[in-house]
Amino acid sequence: MRSPSRLFHSVALMAPALVMVGLLFVYPLVYSLAFAFRNEQTGGWDLGNFAKAFSLYSGDIALTAGVTVLSTVLVGVFAIAVAGYITLGENPRAVSLLRWIYRWPLFIPFVVAAQLMRTFLAKNGMLNNALMSLGVVDPMHAISLLDWRGVVITFVWKQLPFAALLISGAMASMDRSMIESARGLGAGRFRILLEIVVPQVRSSIFVALILSFVTMLSALSVPMMIIAGSSTMITVDMAWRVNSYGDYGVANALGFVSFAMSGVAAWFYLRQGIREGGKPS
Amino acid sequence: MKKMHRSLVRTLAASLAIGLGSWSGLAQAQTTLNVISGGSQNMVDYVTDYLGPLFEKQNPGVKVRVVGTGPDDAGSQKMMEKLQAQKSANLATWDTDVIVPNQQKTGEMVRDGLLLKYRDSIATGKYAVSQSAKQALGVNVDGYVMPMFESQTAMAYNPDLVKNPPGSYDELRAYVAKNPKSFGYNGLKNGMSGVAFVVGWMYAYGGNAQVVQQGPYDVKSQAGWKNAFSDLKAFNQQVVFTPGNAGTLDMLNRGEIAMGPVWVDMFHSWKAEGRLAPNLRLKILSPGMPGQPYYYAIPAKAKNIELAKKFIALATSPEVQAEGIVKRFNWYPGIDANVVKPALDAKIWNQLFVDVTPADLAKNAKPFPLAPFFKDLREQYEAQVQN
Repeated sequence: MRSPSRLFHSVALMAPALVMVGLLFVYPLVYSLAFAFRNEQTGGWDLGNFAKAFSLYSGDIALTAGVTVLSTVLVGVFAIAVAGYITLGENPRAVSLLRWIYRWPLFIPFVVAAQLMRTFLAKNGMLNNALMSLGVVDPMHAISLLDWRGVVITFVWKQLPFAALLISGAMASMDRSMIESARGLGAGRFRILLEIVVPQVRSSIFVALILSFVTMLSALSVPMMIIAGSSTMITVDMAWRVNSYGDYGVANALGFVSFAMSGVAAWFYLRQGIREGGKPS
Repeated sequence: MKKMHRSLVRTLAASLAIGLGSWSGLAQAQTTLNVISGGSQNMVDYVTDYLGPLFEKQNPGVKVRVVGTGPDDAGSQKMMEKLQAQKSANLATWDTDVIVPNQQKTGEMVRDGLLLKYRDSIATGKYAVSQSAKQALGVNVDGYVMPMFESQTAMAYNPDLVKNPPGSYDELRAYVAKNPKSFGYNGLKNGMSGVAFVVGWMYAYGGNAQVVQQGPYDVKSQAGWKNAFSDLKAFNQQVVFTPGNAGTLDMLNRGEIAMGPVWVDMFHSWKAEGRLAPNLRLKILSPGMPGQPYYYAIPAKAKNIELAKKFIALATSPEVQAEGIVKRFNWYPGIDANVVKPALDAKIWNQLFVDVTPADLAKNAKPFPLAPFFKDLREQYEAQVQN
């Protein structure tokens, strides 16, 4: 049984953190969610903002969900491949080279990554120029990737190291005896990865992907700088509503939609934590 | 141990005291003039590299500090929110002395009582003769602003690819029908040069262009918009979308498009810096493409009002407008051109009008629509063209 003074001390110790989270996170969040239902014209509360958000931006909402889910899946596949090679690779030189090089994008901010990709993926950009000089693509058929595909490429490039770092860490701390025995019994590396390694680090993969999903969902700079043309991601629409019309209502409604998407991910994340004994990693 | 501890504390206290002393001494000797500028990076550079140092030289003990908030409505919205916050907090003085906002937000700030009526109390006030010095998208701002410069959109084209550049929206449509994917613009959410192209389209095909520009606001004047937007939607199938104002110039430069709407000042500056192919040229489409000024304004409760007035008077003097605005940064002057022209040699003055002549400007330079029309226009584009 805890003594009252100890309880008081622990509350006192937590207080600054709680006040901080309360004031800077919970209050604005609740405020913005509530004001998604505010009708500024009538002063009442209704679903007007949502009606407008869906009539103007339903395509963008779908695109946002599609792009983030696709990017998350690709990040997962590539991260498992990179981490798997680092764990199971047999050529020490290749492993250490990969280990050294794969983390680089981690240190590049989203906006810089977007700026790089803007010139790299353009119709006459570096990628197409390289392909043309190799004779893979002929100049007449070169296409610009500055649309949703460019966003997916940038997201995957940027989030891959983060996911690979978490997953390869989990793989490194695994008990290697099972890998060795499978190898002794003649299993190939691919089979060991899929049937022995991945199932054991499943929860880390899950966590890495959920965190990547939420990060990508909230990125504004990448779609803003890369997508040329009409269908874009809802972060851009939110900024547009606020900046061009001073319309916080519809922006909040779009924020609510975005929150609902990340809420699904958060639910998985917390469930995963509870399964592991109440400690989300 | 204890002794060492005490001496450490004493040393720290002493150094702190010295530090504070010298800091407050400095603060007394210097007054800081806080400037917030909207617009692209070149507008911040203008104050940091040219106007600020000039003002500091003329006013010893004054330090000009400038912060940029970014282009378009977004940048000016930020300064408006900052002033609004200080107003709602009932502060006696606000921490910003001079702001450089765009037209749309200036109108809103005047309406919300955030700005000071100062123009008649400065010597250069009499040079503010343009229409935009009196009206900002339909809001009466007379007396609250001095135009910093006027800027204009025009069609940039690559003469190697386009032998006979279109001179009007009709000719552009015919050209694009024959050469799909050779014209590019940045849509509506990606910078003002794209917005300007759409506005020009609506002036050409939406009807009632005079009312949309001058008022009065009336939804009935939008009767022709539906058709104009559906034509634009069809036209959009044959164009390339570019990522932003700079994106259009980049794509022109890489030869990915042959033509696109750009800001004239940005075009000239990039060309001067060697960032654009030297052969690219400009042309304003008839019946007209819009342009806009940026303004100098003073927040209603600025801390250094007199200094702010002095700063703006310098910035809008014919000499500074000639040397800074026209010669160094390729903008059209914000004040009466007749007093700026004598302060420059004819060669530099003419460079400003190489492709786009004063006659073109007089005929085809238009303002952006009245604020409520402008809002409707953008929302209807979103609903009818983008969806």
